Amino acid sequence: MRTVDYLFGSPETAALFWPAVVVGLLVALLCAVLSPVVVLRRMSFIGQGVSHAAFAGVGLAMAIGLGAGESGDWRVLAVVAMTCAGAALGIASLSDRKGVNADTAIGIVLVAAMAAGFILIQHASAAMRARGQTPGFGVESVLFGSVLAVRWGDAAVAGAVVAAELAVLWARRRAMLFWAFDEVGAASCGVRVGVARTLLLVMLAMAIVVTMRLAGVVLATALLVLPGATALRCSARWWPVVVVSALVGVLGVAVGLVVSFELDWPPGPAIVLVQVGAYTVVRVVGGLPRRA
Amino acid sequence: MSAPAVEPGGAAIEFDRVSHTYEGSAGPTLREITLRVEPGERLGILGPNGAGKTTLVRIALGLLTASGGSVRVFGRTPTEARQARWIGYVPQRSTAEVAFPFSVRQVVGMPAAVGLRPWRRSGPGARRAVEHALMLTGCDGFADMPIGRASGGQLQRALIARALAAEPRLLVLDEPTIGIDAAGQQQFAAMLAHVQDELGVTVVIVTHDLRTIAAGCDRVACLQRTLHAHVSPEGLTPAVLAEVFRHEVEGIFGEVHIDAHRAAECTDPGHEHPADQHGHGGHAGHAHGGGGHDCGCEGHGGGGADAGKGGGRAHG
Repeated sequence: MRTVDYLFGSPETAALFWPAVVVGLLVALLCAVLSPVVVLRRMSFIGQGVSHAAFAGVGLAMAIGLGAGESGDWRVLAVVAMTCAGAALGIASLSDRKGVNADTAIGIVLVAAMAAGFILIQHASAAMRARGQTPGFGVESVLFGSVLAVRWGDAAVAGAVVAAELAVLWARRRAMLFWAFDEVGAASCGVRVGVARTLLLVMLAMAIVVTMRLAGVVLATALLVLPGATALRCSARWWPVVVVSALVGVLGVAVGLVVSFELDWPPGPAIVLVQVGAYTVVRVVGGLPRRA
Repeated sequence: MSAPAVEPGGAAIEFDRVSHTYEGSAGPTLREITLRVEPGERLGILGPNGAGKTTLVRIALGLLTASGGSVRVFGRTPTEARQARWIGYVPQRSTAEVAFPFSVRQVVGMPAAVGLRPWRRSGPGARRAVEHALMLTGCDGFADMPIGRASGGQLQRALIARALAAEPRLLVLDEPTIGIDAAGQQQFAAMLAHVQDELGVTVVIVTHDLRTIAAGCDRVACLQRTLHAHVSPEGLTPAVLAEVFRHEVEGIFGEVHIDAHRAAECTDPGHEHPADQHGHGGHAGHAHGGGGHDCGCEGHGGGGADAGKGGGRAHG
């Protein structure tokens, strides 16, 4: 069992792998709690747009000289978080305007972020190497994540973000759910729908930022979509859906990491495939005839 | 926070020369609307698409500030009235995302719960209001059903119950009977009458559909950017309706003349009016305006009612 060796074999390997496990379980929980709303509000594609903005964010951070050597630098995450939040709000404000379709807005932001990010990361990496530094991020690790790159610093940031978001979600749950269910009706009942929408977008952006180190920007949205889509086929009641979604998310990451350690697969894709498997099983076995 | 006092003897809603022009639009959406809605009455606001109905509603709800004129709701500004929860608004059904796994009861309880502190649960008073609203609207039989399994009529009733559960003084319904068949519309009218008898709430129905208006409104205000008439449903003559819906009929058929006389003469309920629109090339044709006239033509009254929607059925 490689998993046992990695996690309990020696202090050195434990220090290498435990941070990834902790980050994985934390972000899985957060993404899974957000997931039913993302699925039902059809925000999966917004999630894609926002997560790809992280690519540009990393490029930007490296271009201003951050992200060299050992990673876990909170300043890189801050730049990425701001880029993602900016992209989320940009997409929202673009699609609010007449004549711009949300799909189009997301499509434009996504490719622009990818193109700019790719160029910035390449150039910044070359410049760092020329200065004798090791770049903390490569194109591939940003796209698909990397377990070995996750440090305790990342785990601390992830823990703080997850705790803060879960607290806000719990405190604002009634207004957020009312808004998500019926924006017009909620507005007429005094819910500040602009605040609710912005809050959810910023929370999505933050969730993606903390997920990025482990699963990469391409796969981060999977954690926001698959648990909710699976849970919505299992129950027609809200709180059971949230609980099932959290279980699918957390267990999916746990099993995915074990698979990744045992078979030497990259962890991001392993986690995604395990969650896709769970979704497929629920679909095939039956469950509710839902849209998701 | 205590609710502000209602001015005694005041109108439920008082629009005073309200005008509105959207930024960047060529002309005004609303022009000089003056309208008084009395407490306890049921007013229908009838107009074709694009007549400014939704704009008027948004102004009354305080979601939009009119560019001219003033609005008072029970003597207060619309925003104050909304914050005091005096206005229950029932949006068009299509705005709700019914795939959410909420029960009908959960949906009805949303407005009452949304103002609570996070750690508080709804009190017994609020829960009683929810149950009462479910009963009044006939939703008590399916209160635990997921909202996604509700039929169009059931969903409409659930959304009305949701508005009533907050115990408003004024109920505003936006196109309440879209996609509901004739039998469902009759049920809807009966339910609304029951609700009003029980609660004495003022009701404003905004619609392009004459059948909804015919379902027991005390008065009708006909809107086409400005108010064209302000009458009882019986007073909705073909001439009045023709005036309100004219712009849309023109848009479809070119310039048309309204042959109100022929429409009023028709007495045969089974009679199918010939499609006597000859508006091509700018030649004058005939379009019977309206469907609520007293010729007894039930069979095609709905056609006139939908004059704003269906071009080929613009005759009444």
